[in-house]
Amino acid sequence: MDMNQALGTFVEECRDLLAQMEDILLRADSADPDNAVTQDDLHALFRCAHTIKGSGGLFGLDEVVAFTHVVENALDRLRGGTLVFTPDLVSLLLDCKDHITTLVEATAQGDPPEAGHGEALLARLESALATPGGGVVTTPQGVSALAPAPDAAPEPQPRVHASGGGAFGTEHWHLSLRFGPEVLKNGMDPLAFINYLSTLGQIVHVETVSDALPDLFEADPERCYLGFEVALRSDASKAELEGVFEFVHDDASITILPPHSRVDDFIALIDSLDENERRLGEILVSCGTLTRRELDAVLAAQRAEATAPRLGEMLVHQGIVAPPVVEAALVKQKHNEERRTQEARSLKVPADRLDTLINQVGELVIAGSAVQLHASKARDTELQEAAANLLRLVEDMRDTALRLRMTPIGDVFSRFPRVVRDLSKELGKDIELVINGAEAELDKSMVEKIGDPLMHLVRNSIDHGIESPEARTAADKPARGRVVLNAYHESGSIVIEVADDGRGLDTARILQKAVERGIVAADASLTEAEIHRLILAPGFSTAETVTNLSGRGVGMDVVKSSIEALRGTLDIESHPSAGTTMRLCLPLTLAIIDGFQVGVGGATFILPLDAVVECIELPQGSDACDYLNLRDQVLPFLRLRRLFDLPGEPPPRQNIVVISFAGRKAGIAVDRLYGECQTVIKPLGRLFEQISGIAGSTILGSGEVALILDVAQLVQHAAARPHGRSGSKHQHA
Amino acid sequence: MGIEISGHDSIGRVSIDGELTVHTIADIKTGLALAVLEHEETEIDLGGVEEMDTAGLQLMLMAKRCSGKTVRFVNHSEAVLRLLDLSNLGSTLGDPLLIAKHGNT
Repeated sequence: MDMNQALGTFVEECRDLLAQMEDILLRADSADPDNAVTQDDLHALFRCAHTIKGSGGLFGLDEVVAFTHVVENALDRLRGGTLVFTPDLVSLLLDCKDHITTLVEATAQGDPPEAGHGEALLARLESALATPGGGVVTTPQGVSALAPAPDAAPEPQPRVHASGGGAFGTEHWHLSLRFGPEVLKNGMDPLAFINYLSTLGQIVHVETVSDALPDLFEADPERCYLGFEVALRSDASKAELEGVFEFVHDDASITILPPHSRVDDFIALIDSLDENERRLGEILVSCGTLTRRELDAVLAAQRAEATAPRLGEMLVHQGIVAPPVVEAALVKQKHNEERRTQEARSLKVPADRLDTLINQVGELVIAGSAVQLHASKARDTELQEAAANLLRLVEDMRDTALRLRMTPIGDVFSRFPRVVRDLSKELGKDIELVINGAEAELDKSMVEKIGDPLMHLVRNSIDHGIESPEARTAADKPARGRVVLNAYHESGSIVIEVADDGRGLDTARILQKAVERGIVAADASLTEAEIHRLILAPGFSTAETVTNLSGRGVGMDVVKSSIEALRGTLDIESHPSAGTTMRLCLPLTLAIIDGFQVGVGGATFILPLDAVVECIELPQGSDACDYLNLRDQVLPFLRLRRLFDLPGEPPPRQNIVVISFAGRKAGIAVDRLYGECQTVIKPLGRLFEQISGIAGSTILGSGEVALILDVAQLVQHAAARPHGRSGSKHQHA
Repeated sequence: MGIEISGHDSIGRVSIDGELTVHTIADIKTGLALAVLEHEETEIDLGGVEEMDTAGLQLMLMAKRCSGKTVRFVNHSEAVLRLLDLSNLGSTLGDPLLIAKHGNT
């Protein structure tokens, strides 16, 4: 394998492992009994550090190995119960985890990692390890004597270098094959299987077990009497090896022992076979699977018939091998199996291939529309039917292709437990984070872009929203604050909420600040919701003290504009002393939408179909108005012709498309309605990016270009305009 | 294809041709057992064996183990050698000449 590619895989794997570590550490810190850290978690924690160290060693990343090694030692002590989690230790381990992340990321960037920080952490870690309860003061040197880098070796072929000679269980697989008497008659040839094994790896040794062979004169030569013990050096997985014997599985007894198996596996193997145990043991020795000394240990254990402790424990008791070595081997083996099963469930595909696929599907959608257009022009019903069928299939394919890129929002949420924990410590607040709907999916490109705005909102909630514990107790609220991240799907978009149960927005202060900064006139009369939206204005900040979190020159206006860049909206709902909810509404994808096609003069426009509520005819004689009466409700509307200054006279009958966005409705007056169409969104060139009211462009089946209207801006525009005055041209945002 | 038995009173000579597999093993075994039974010493020529499987291998093992009789295999064909190599039984069922040579050095 190409080394760079392998390094990429390593970094990716490390990220997963580090994320897992963080998750466990955070749970160790939480008081929630449902989520308490179990012994399995401690093992997993150790395994993470261990694997990072081992893989790091493979790539010669000495800093990673040296640092992780000490961390691993601490985790091992935790696992062994000689060290207990304290809040300080959790913080320290989280810092260590961060440092490993830094080291690994530095590798990914190809930069040499910075020295210094790691040493400070190590010193802290060592002093933590030296605290009472551990009993033993462990220095790094002492540690390395205990655990001599047991697995600085390639992943697929785990290797254990035991310190005391006598490595137990060797590097190869041991296969014990006993075939049923009928296999030969059934057309299966045991030796052919062994021959096939040699294609999966190197056969180290074969021992033909012929003890069951009867006398020549009594034998039925078509029955199989032979068994085989095979030592195989191979990178294949256990499942692959088992697969070799799939067809004889019912008719044979196949035992496959992975490299470095446990003593009771060997005992079980010896027990399960009829042959004289000493003889079988000798075979294992001659295969190189066991050394003579180990065989003696196994047989002694078998005779003792104790509760068959793990080989490791036994050897450790006898002082043959240090515990970490054996544990390392067992852990590694288990980890490899786990990973293989995961690999089988999912497939890694480079993102750019998916992007190419989606682009191509987009082109297909356009081509399909063209076919349908020509079919309807040709007035050929059969052709029309075929075209409709084709288009339906293409639509299905579009949905499937888009789903390929969908990732759960939980990927973004997963970084917040840590953020909330660190920030609440820093600010002396007690805050609990609740995550709902982490499984809701959205396009990967969105997931990447939504992280920063969300981070900002969560920080705001912690910093500005949630009060100090004293203030909360005084206000009759539980001392522990709560931040809720919530995600769910709603009519073709995803809604993400960041809610807190803090003090709520202080409308009086916001208004005061806004007046001070000249954002609104002092005598303006604003509704509560309008005041809330003032915090989204550029350069607005109400924080009285500049903390580490706020006052960085990035305000809510940046959040707002980055969400709008994703064709999303941000809504604020706040109640004094009950809390604030920031509601983001985002489209699921940026690539393709179902559109609704309308025409004005010679131009064609597309509205996202999700936003279209209904179509009505523009009442006669309402030329002067910008609003109409829709079932006793005032509906403001825009005339596209005037908005974009399009030439030509409106036809006598115009139509109104009623659109709705974020709970508000508006009408768009157009000349003609064309109906639904598949729309592949093409971004506008840089020159047109600033034009408000337009979200993008698309190519119609006829080859013409149509502009996609930006519903959010249009609705806002229609609602914001003073009633009764018409003809305003579009403004720059 | 098949088995051919010839020889004097003391040494039986058996030569096996073609397949030495589960498909032919029943006939070959009968002939071989007869030859071994009738002679103190039996030399089995494997030069004509074109194909062999586990059934053939275990027949060789059984013949070799026959108590009170001497059974020798000579002139191993490629197919036989390949299987002996695979099953690690070369030293048991190999060509006596080769082993003798090896033993002298």
